[in-house]
Amino acid sequence: MDIAGFLASVESSNLATAIRDSLYLFPLIESLHVLGLTLVFGTIVIVDLRLLGIASIQRPFTRITSDILKWTWAAFVWTATTGMLMFITNANVYYHNSFFRTKMVLLALAGLNVAIFELTSGRTVHHWHKDAAAPRAGRAAAILSLVLWITIIFMGRWIGFTTSQSKAPLEPGINADDLFPSPPPK
Amino acid sequence: MTSAIREFAEWLSHTSPSILIQTHNASVIPTIQSIHIIAIGVVLTSVLMIDLRILGWAGHDQTLRETTDRFGPWLSWALLVLLITGISMVVGEPVRALLSFSFWLKMFLVALGTLIATFLQITAKRNEQTLVNRRTVKSLAILTLLIWVGIVILGRLIAYDYVWGSWSLKPTA
Repeated sequence: MDIAGFLASVESSNLATAIRDSLYLFPLIESLHVLGLTLVFGTIVIVDLRLLGIASIQRPFTRITSDILKWTWAAFVWTATTGMLMFITNANVYYHNSFFRTKMVLLALAGLNVAIFELTSGRTVHHWHKDAAAPRAGRAAAILSLVLWITIIFMGRWIGFTTSQSKAPLEPGINADDLFPSPPPK
Repeated sequence: MTSAIREFAEWLSHTSPSILIQTHNASVIPTIQSIHIIAIGVVLTSVLMIDLRILGWAGHDQTLRETTDRFGPWLSWALLVLLITGISMVVGEPVRALLSFSFWLKMFLVALGTLIATFLQITAKRNEQTLVNRRTVKSLAILTLLIWVGIVILGRLIAYDYVWGSWSLKPTA
């Protein structure tokens, strides 16, 4: 099946239709997505700041990861699931949206960054886990991680502003009076 | 009450800071919202870490004091960022925010959360040894976490105030 056919079949699935037809499901899913992503981001920042030697430096790096990464992964699965539920409701539009595409590439790069870290500084973690900061490769991975995740959050917000008519920005010079029409008939 | 809020929102939308944000809204509003979300990440995670320590689910190698010393300053600074970006969003889109039921419910939860945090800080300072009743502190930890989860969800729901039906002050389009 080609990609257009795949996107169309995803969009017409029962699940996607149910979410689209509900007034409440999409807002709820989007709110839960924000909740998940703030935890993914916040917990990753704790690990990155430790690698950079900025915060929690008196705690061994391995203590922090064993404390925190399980929450990061749980929040990531939560966020990815809610993200996919939003995607299927309007798959074709999201697929062709450049902010969505950029976000997906950056997510892949963030994953690659973790993999490279594990293969470099991660291999020698027991030599430096009590040091104030990680070796150079580890610090570079931390900076890259922070830049990637902050950009991912920005991209996510821009997807919302470029894929939904209802959230399109108001025209400049808006007159608030226009927003208060006489009440509609009940 | 509602007409006073409407009049205030209308007046605010005609002030020059509001017009400045409105005329640049295509990039300014998503930028402010993104910074707001980043700051929420710092706040929510800091609250989570302190609460997990209180509940004994994380940070066993740290005392509660060490945990609050680590996350307290980040929490305070991120809250300041939330306040600044939050006010900017209200100024930039007064009607969207001030006539939304989610916004006022969110503000109520912010006030409630602040009250509980202040109470905890005062009691912690007064009797650092016993730190009130342990069960009370643990319940308050879970309560503050739930309040913050509610605040995050309601924040996003400001964009969809119709979910509240007639509770929303917004004119139906």
